[in-house]
Amino acid sequence: MSVSTEQVSPVESLTAALIDANDQLLALYDMATLHTDSLDEHQSVNQILHTARGLMHVDELEMVPGEHVAPTTDRRTAAISVTDPSGTASTLVATRSSSPFTTGDAKLLTAVAHLAMRAQHTARMHAAAVEQAIVRHEHDLASELVQRALPADRPHIPCARLFARTDPARTAGGDLYSFSFVGDTFHFVVGDVSGKGLPAALMMSNVVNAAQRSFTDHGEQGPAAVLGGIDRWMHDALSDADMFVTLIAGSFDPRAGRLALANAGHSPVYFVHDGAAESIEASRPPIGVLPNLGCEQIEHIVAPSDRFVGASDGFPEQVDDSGTMYGEERFEAALIEPADDIEEFGSGLFDTVETFAGNSTQSDDRTLFMLEFGTAS
Amino acid sequence: MIITDTTSSDSDGSSSLALSGRFDAHEADGFRAAVDPLVEAGTSSIDVGLSDVEFIDSTALAELVRLMKRCREIGGDLRLRAPSDPVRVILELTRLDAAFEIV
Repeated sequence: MSVSTEQVSPVESLTAALIDANDQLLALYDMATLHTDSLDEHQSVNQILHTARGLMHVDELEMVPGEHVAPTTDRRTAAISVTDPSGTASTLVATRSSSPFTTGDAKLLTAVAHLAMRAQHTARMHAAAVEQAIVRHEHDLASELVQRALPADRPHIPCARLFARTDPARTAGGDLYSFSFVGDTFHFVVGDVSGKGLPAALMMSNVVNAAQRSFTDHGEQGPAAVLGGIDRWMHDALSDADMFVTLIAGSFDPRAGRLALANAGHSPVYFVHDGAAESIEASRPPIGVLPNLGCEQIEHIVAPSDRFVGASDGFPEQVDDSGTMYGEERFEAALIEPADDIEEFGSGLFDTVETFAGNSTQSDDRTLFMLEFGTAS
Repeated sequence: MIITDTTSSDSDGSSSLALSGRFDAHEADGFRAAVDPLVEAGTSSIDVGLSDVEFIDSTALAELVRLMKRCREIGGDLRLRAPSDPVRVILELTRLDAAFEIV
């Protein structure tokens, strides 16, 4: 019997198989100990594929989106589909012209596909986290900037002391106050844009701008005219955004001791006189609900220790741990307490409602704007 | 908040629904999801029952104002039916009782 010189002996075949198996073990070890040092999706996947390409002697190796199947008749092309934890499928496609892929190669390619998929998924999660952090940073920055629409200065008002503070429930809110002198008369508005957070705050800054303009244009005609100016300026913008703003406008003439007020749907508003709090009722709905509405104007001649209080519903509507609201009655009772220092008194009202809230979260923006008359320093 | 008793009448293009519980910023999206399809389907007159609403905030009031405007734009109106005491107080304080039809 003749034996062909080209025939492979069993020993040679076994040796070749052992070498292949050993090569694959070494390749698997190298793959397992590969560290990608990039969080860029394409860089990290390419680093893995580059290493695998050299280890497995393949011509082409790429990770493509979606699920794909290799032709069953061609063992020189392999396709391994994998799905990441978010459910996104990718396929590792390999071609090798030098020899067909074996069962061992297929297992190694599967390991490469999973490694590339994990690197891809980690890079995508990192990118999403970075994007979220950027959005949050920009949101916080925008909130901080928009809250600057509220005046930080506290002007000297003859025969009156001013306390003004707002605590948004979130990083920004729709509560507002603004003021300005027109001649010797001190003009102000206190309001609350419907809704919460940054959208309400953005509209709030527009209302503050409209108020400043209206103080200048209509201040001499009184607060009802100031409200009318803000209404004409803001109605369409508010209505288009499905928002409204409750707003009380006021003016204080120190020479005459006259406080004038016009209320468009705002509450709570009080005039505290002689130990009693009189609620200042609204005479029209908030701005943004119906166009071109007039507003009544009322006037008080103030006496020493009288107070004007314009607050927001974040005070009476705050709930405690049992779900009970702080309420108008408690708020009214707190407002009539005598005080030597308006700054201390105002801060104390914030502390009181915060203590009442206990572990309950602040449900709405809280704003307190107070003028105490006859105590100017 | 629970939305109950939703009924529609194709003959006169009207619908009615009733709300109960808290109606606040957390419930605004649910309310909008319930009423928008009615308006989009051509319902111009909507009757909202408020007798069992325990609390209403400014975001919820803005939703009612929005619905009122949408109804009026297509020739109908929004009617607020039997508001509970807490709702009536808020409507009076804000003078929104002058803007809505309340029955």
